Amino acid sequence: MNVKIDTEGAFGSALITLDAGEKFVSEAGAMYRASSNMEISVESRKKKDEGMWGALKSGIKAMFAGESFFLSTYTPNDGQAGEVGLAPTHQGEVRSVKVGPEVWICSGGSYLGSSGGITLDTQYQGLTKGMFSKEGLVFVQASGEGDLLVNGFGRISSIDVSGGITVDNGHLIAFTEGLEYTISKAGGGWISSMMSGEGLVMKFSGQGKVLVQSHDPSRLGGVLGPLLPPREG
Amino acid sequence: MRFEVKGNPSYGEVDVDLGPNETLLIEPGAMSRMSSNLNSSFQRQGGLFSAMFRKMFGGENFFLGKYEHPDGGKLTFAPSTPGHVEHRQLTNNSLNIMAGCFLACTPGVNIKAKFGGFKAFFSGEGAFLLEASGNGDLFFNSFGGIIEKEINGDFIVDTGHVVAFEPSLNYKISGMGNWKSTMLSGEGLVMTFSGVGKIYLQTRTVDGIASWLTPRLI
Repeated sequence: MNVKIDTEGAFGSALITLDAGEKFVSEAGAMYRASSNMEISVESRKKKDEGMWGALKSGIKAMFAGESFFLSTYTPNDGQAGEVGLAPTHQGEVRSVKVGPEVWICSGGSYLGSSGGITLDTQYQGLTKGMFSKEGLVFVQASGEGDLLVNGFGRISSIDVSGGITVDNGHLIAFTEGLEYTISKAGGGWISSMMSGEGLVMKFSGQGKVLVQSHDPSRLGGVLGPLLPPREG
Repeated sequence: MRFEVKGNPSYGEVDVDLGPNETLLIEPGAMSRMSSNLNSSFQRQGGLFSAMFRKMFGGENFFLGKYEHPDGGKLTFAPSTPGHVEHRQLTNNSLNIMAGCFLACTPGVNIKAKFGGFKAFFSGEGAFLLEASGNGDLFFNSFGGIIEKEINGDFIVDTGHVVAFEPSLNYKISGMGNWKSTMLSGEGLVMTFSGVGKIYLQTRTVDGIASWLTPRLI
């Protein structure tokens, strides 16, 4: 298996080459090209030895994480190698990270795809954190071993954390297990936090890596929104 | 203060290394990450009246976020829209910036809103512009990439594409040729700059993306 970031910059995408017998998984709708021997099927998110109910539960939880109900899977079906291209919905970079032994946790909507050896699970963030982080109530946890693809709005930077870092809410893409975060005010008193326009931030502590995006989608929404016509009905 | 602009032209952001007791003033909401020790507070830029004026007419905020610490620290900030971030060092001179394009500055820079005159109503940039003057570092942003152009003589720019220009330049609003080509070329009004100086242009406009996106919204 080879995972290559095919286009960089504002319109990032990934090209995955699979050997016979290998499998890649992505959120539904992310495929934009595939070789003709690639078998594309839809899979529920259920874990091993779970029935229909488990599939439904996992699917609904994933939707709370801003992800699709189903996953798409790609496998070459003729014993030859094949390729599949994946691209996110919105503009921004795509980044590939190694899972194992590190476990990665992706904020809502950041997950793009992963290789077959990765187990995906959802992680409820708690009501307070979920409501105020702007990153979704539920995060996606990727464990096992393989390649994980994430997408961000804007440029993606990787930061090695030892000690602490403050990330503005709306900028988180993913972090490794071992890091903990709390939601808190940006600094000083509440008034100065709100007036400085930052309001709430995520304070990370511990050891690990954090992936952040340069831009905050809700701020673009704030600029673009007033320029759009009112909705009818 | 050390800084590095990264990610241009699509997603410009600025990494700053603040020295001990150095201060940076940033447009509210633009901070994306920082060392946990940095203090953030807010500061009114200029006098009460000038801050109010800037808020009402300059498309900017009454307060600016203020970041500092006795030991210094690291900070990254980015504008709200995808695009280029440009830096300019001011040394006792000034630069005219279009409303909404201001991103950050050091405390020696003064930002005030200035009426652009009657012609500014037709410029597609808002009737007021910002004048940055003084000494220090100034950061401003565009939607899309920024093209720098040295003008010597006349130069025509479509309305909505100007980010900033030196005060030695003057402009007037006009049509493209006669009224027929003005209406049918799809350009409408243009700005004709004259004089000697530098102008910063943006390759895209937010109005353009909004009208492209509108029919696709469901």
